[in-house]
Amino acid sequence: MRKISGIQSTIEVLSAIAMKTLRYYVRYPGAFLLYLVMPFLFTLLIFGMGGFVGGSEATTYFTARTGTSNVLIYEILGSSVWMTSWVVVEDVGVSLRNEQMTGTLEQNFLAPVNRFTFLLGLSLADIIITAGIFFIVVGSTIWLMMPTAFLGLLQAYLVLLLGLIPLFGIGFLFAGFVVRFKEPYTFVQIVNLLFAVLTGTYYPVTVLPYWAQFVSRVLPQTYVISDMRQIILANERLVNLYGGIFVLLALALAYPIVGYAVFKHLEKRASITGDFSKY
Amino acid sequence: MNPVDVQSLSKTFETKEGPILRKTRRSLTAVDGISFSVPKGEIFALLGPNGAGKTTTVKMLCTLITPSLGDAIINGFSVVKEQQKVRESLGVMLTGERTLYWKLTGHENLQYFAALYHLQPSDSKERIEQLLKLVGLAEREDTLVENYSTGMRIRLSFAKALLNEAPVLLFDEPTASLDPQSSHLIRDLIRDLKREGRSIILTTHNMDEAEVLSDRVAIIDHGKIVQLGTPAELKQKVKTSEVIEIEARNISKQAVDAIQALSGISKVAFSDVNGEKPVLRIHAERGKEILPRILELLVREKTAITNVSVIEPTLEDVFIEETGRSLRD
Repeated sequence: MRKISGIQSTIEVLSAIAMKTLRYYVRYPGAFLLYLVMPFLFTLLIFGMGGFVGGSEATTYFTARTGTSNVLIYEILGSSVWMTSWVVVEDVGVSLRNEQMTGTLEQNFLAPVNRFTFLLGLSLADIIITAGIFFIVVGSTIWLMMPTAFLGLLQAYLVLLLGLIPLFGIGFLFAGFVVRFKEPYTFVQIVNLLFAVLTGTYYPVTVLPYWAQFVSRVLPQTYVISDMRQIILANERLVNLYGGIFVLLALALAYPIVGYAVFKHLEKRASITGDFSKY
Repeated sequence: MNPVDVQSLSKTFETKEGPILRKTRRSLTAVDGISFSVPKGEIFALLGPNGAGKTTTVKMLCTLITPSLGDAIINGFSVVKEQQKVRESLGVMLTGERTLYWKLTGHENLQYFAALYHLQPSDSKERIEQLLKLVGLAEREDTLVENYSTGMRIRLSFAKALLNEAPVLLFDEPTASLDPQSSHLIRDLIRDLKREGRSIILTTHNMDEAEVLSDRVAIIDHGKIVQLGTPAELKQKVKTSEVIEIEARNISKQAVDAIQALSGISKVAFSDVNGEKPVLRIHAERGKEILPRILELLVREKTAITNVSVIEPTLEDVFIEETGRSLRD
């Protein structure tokens, strides 16, 4: 039996894991539908609350604080980035948890695949899922409401792609918690809700208290949302947004390293305590 | 060097027990300094009751659990220091049917694991077809695993373990919950693998399986190997005794104690699998001579006897001889 090695085997492993994850999405399509509907529902919620608080002056206040009167695009961009980050942060950990519950995690860990490749494979599927969410949710909204900005979509997606890398790092961190402590949902959902509060999902981060703004500066979604809005709503070019891009690049380096180091530490503990097979 | 060389392997788990805020730490030794070797082309069985430490041993050998002490060398690689190399050298089937992706087809499952074991894609296609045919699933390769029967899932899990043609194979209870036909198939396949020169470790609590399939058996209890040898060698150790097997209902503890007190009786073990089949196994120097006294005693204790036989010792009797308990306890 011939075996492959090096980059060819890594590509084969990554595509096998991504394909398996996608097959599961296709055969359990409910989650994907939820991810598609949620950004619209949250945007509607913000519309309702804005109207209730601001009354007939709501749009005026909104424009004064954000610099745009296009409330729908502004909010849908925030919503879709939040949903994307939700998928990425939750999915790696929850996938591992599901594998642990169904008994397949041990089967994967028995194979001669290093853990980083395994986690990366799970993340790759998410890139495809999030691309789907982004292009359907944001693409359809822009196409209907602001067709002139449609060309900016690709640049906006490049920013999102860059922002996904640090998010995968956060996902690896949660994956470690899952392997060691089980019960991923509590951590992930609290953190994902905090992300919505802190990263300018529905309002500019400048309305936050100073300490919260400081926290928002180390979260990748803050830069992704802000740069996307600049590209789509202010017709800004990606190259001119180098400040945010530079920070995203730095976060893209730091978060995966920290996330994977924590994962490896907790995984090592789990192999001592025998936690891989415990529910 | 033998393909498998286990050296003083131990595993102690630290657990916390008790109510919240008043939890106390406890150490539980699941495997206690076991050593054995498996040469090329040998089937080696770890036989013992549930909780004896068989699965923990297998999980240490396949790198899922880090040993507390000792080491095992698989195909020349240490399970402590060279885990990736060990994984490349192993084909593993862990117990149970939930080791597969139920929302994938049988073919998709093998395809996925073939990639994880770095099989050349052009070769893996042929290998998957060959394995599906081998375990009798070629006709159902495109059916989702969730629609397979338990037997089919275990056969697929067995095929998965053979994907990478590893020199060392670990099978954890390979025929547990299988129907006789599928068990027969799996046992035949294991014998074929031995003929190909693979070194095979299997765990079982089924003494018949250990006896008919294995070249050597290690009887394990409370994490220790209590006996090791060929089935014939092990059975010789209880050859001085005859074994009386009595199936009966309402066997009281007093009856068991009374039999144990009879002269000429060396061991008495009582087992009752799921409360369905109470069995007394009695080791005696002259079983046929002492049998009437045993029956008289049981009748006096109002025991409803359904079957009595005097049989040759089995591996179960080796276990009883060593531990005073039945394998089915």
